[in-house]
Amino acid sequence: MSLTLNIPVIETERLRLRAHREGDLDVIAAFFADDRSAFVGGPKNRAESWRVISGALGHWALRGYGMWLVADKTTDAPIGGVGFLNPEGWDEAELGWHMFNGHEGKGYAYEATVAAKSYGATHFGIPAPISYIAPANTRSVALAKRLGATYERDGEVLGNACHIYRHSKAEAA
Amino acid sequence: MMRYEVPQLETDRLILRAHRESDIASEIEFFQTDPSKMVGGPKAADDVWRYISMMMGHWALRGYGLWALEEKATGTYVGRAGLWMPLGYDEPEIGWTLMNHATGKGYATEAAQTARAYAYDVLGWDTAVSLTLPENTASQAVAKRLGASLERTFESKYGPAQIWRHPSPSDLENGGMEAYA
Repeated sequence: MSLTLNIPVIETERLRLRAHREGDLDVIAAFFADDRSAFVGGPKNRAESWRVISGALGHWALRGYGMWLVADKTTDAPIGGVGFLNPEGWDEAELGWHMFNGHEGKGYAYEATVAAKSYGATHFGIPAPISYIAPANTRSVALAKRLGATYERDGEVLGNACHIYRHSKAEAA
Repeated sequence: MMRYEVPQLETDRLILRAHRESDIASEIEFFQTDPSKMVGGPKAADDVWRYISMMMGHWALRGYGLWALEEKATGTYVGRAGLWMPLGYDEPEIGWTLMNHATGKGYATEAAQTARAYAYDVLGWDTAVSLTLPENTASQAVAKRLGASLERTFESKYGPAQIWRHPSPSDLENGGMEAYA
């Protein structure tokens, strides 16, 4: 029996959450070339960024859920990433998000994360995920709080100390 | 919705299928051992998990990739083999890696031969290479059994590496596998 994998698409008012594609590489490589990407494992070169895309796609196959590429609903241009991460070394499924260069401050991360969280509760059986957040990443701390998440404990992921936030239980839609 | 498919193939003794989460424990164990130095190891557990997930995503991006190898008789995961072309490669590769308990049985040759047939017959490739480190004599023996010949050595990110060129589809039609036995 062959494996066929479907990665769902979610649309919000301004955004489309979809599977990563090779055509997203320029934007993702630019993001990972920047020191800002240190919060999500960067910096990385272009070949390593390609492996980030393929790794994100493969996560869906291994776990049944994963990260979406957040695209502009009108142009389909990549804006960021959002979704559920649970690779080796994670305590449990994490709700994660990052916005690519130039797309912060517009409420996109909030809009995408609300949609992803709701979808996870309904389809993936993840009602109250955690988020690993570096305390220095004040923008993400603010978004976690805006999403209704609360600080739960100090933790560590891949040897990096971080704060673990717990999201409130989402109602399955 | 993005769909991607990993076809399942069979040889006499092996099933070639998509990787599953449950295969990763064997790979994590393998990448802690010395033989993994021949294939980019050692690697930490979290790196191995990402490596396998990246292999799965390679199918989505390229339409082909590495299969997990399962021993038919026991259902045991014995390694991986298939078609590999991540960004940065000059041309697609036929690759194989066996777990330590599964070497010496001809599994790599059996799986790679099937992967090559898939590349030539289904995907329409007209040539293929395999890469090995100069010290990886076991892998070179597999390349030779497959009829490949050493083309050149180049500087890879792991140091010097050998490029083995496989017989073309027409070479195989003319000679058949018997020619290389």
